[in-house]
Amino acid sequence: MLSQEKAMTMIEDSIAGLRRAGLLGADLAVDGGLVLLGTGSPLDSIAFVTFITDLEDRLNGETGKDLYLVLTDIHEFNTDNARLTVETLARYLVKLAQQ
Amino acid sequence: MTEQTVLAITGASRGIGLAMAEHFARKGIRVAGCSRGPSQIAADNYLHTQVDITDDKEVRGWIRGIKKAYGRLDVVVCNAALVPPAALLLNTATETLDAVFRANVNGTYLVCREAAKMMLLQRFGRIITVSSMAVGLHSEGSSLYAASKSAVVEMTKILAKELAPSGITCNVIAPSVYESSAVANLGEAVVAHALGQLTLKRALTIAEICNVIEFYAAPESGCITGQVTHLGLVV
Repeated sequence: MLSQEKAMTMIEDSIAGLRRAGLLGADLAVDGGLVLLGTGSPLDSIAFVTFITDLEDRLNGETGKDLYLVLTDIHEFNTDNARLTVETLARYLVKLAQQ
Repeated sequence: MTEQTVLAITGASRGIGLAMAEHFARKGIRVAGCSRGPSQIAADNYLHTQVDITDDKEVRGWIRGIKKAYGRLDVVVCNAALVPPAALLLNTATETLDAVFRANVNGTYLVCREAAKMMLLQRFGRIITVSSMAVGLHSEGSSLYAASKSAVVEMTKILAKELAPSGITCNVIAPSVYESSAVANLGEAVVAHALGQLTLKRALTIAEICNVIEFYAAPESGCITGQVTHLGLVV
């Protein structure tokens, strides 16, 4: 079972990987409120796609399952709230891992 | 390309895709082919998966399978396509229109998208799409196929710009006549007409086609992106 804390750590590790790959210009302080997609996000579109792909790999490695991240399945991230935060994404990862 | 290179080819069970897969597998390159039908190739360095490239889940599963098998993906050749029989635009059924665009445009789009995601993590990749002589010839009866292949060219050029900062190149190969069942499906009159309009009035060999793929795939071709190479035809 994937905990919220573990999911947050995975996200943090993926973001650190972006920094190492040169896709982020500066170190980021990762907390639950950090916006990953939408207004205020420090990630451009290429960095975001790379981040999601890497995170998917980590999730599959962690759970041993064949899972796909589908942004449209994140009900808290929708037209009423068009900003995806670390906390929201971590909750989605936990839910996805339970499948 | 070396024996460490991982090359993916769509539409690898027949025609030009099968010939490409056989050519590169014989050279020792690790080839991952896909098609809706079963494999026609038996080789240790060939991995075949039955995939409907118009289904995004199947495409994602295929790319993930390549990563599991080989750990990387260096080159993808988006070859799979439907070649409809020659027909005037006025006589083309809506169902045919939908099927050709779904396979040739949507399918290529999905494969490029999923392959590019994996290549982004590697910070290296070569995406090669396949257009056609039909784009340059404007022959009567080829409106549907030519339109779909024009879309592939435009998509590839834009993708080339989007991926340029990530070490990934995107180029197009536009073969003329290669003696395959797909070309035969165009009909004798269209093929004869096409040969007559080509600059080189002969069919291509698979070695000539694969030579362009190897050129695009070479590490030294990292500055070549968004280009279209026409074979046998001055456009």
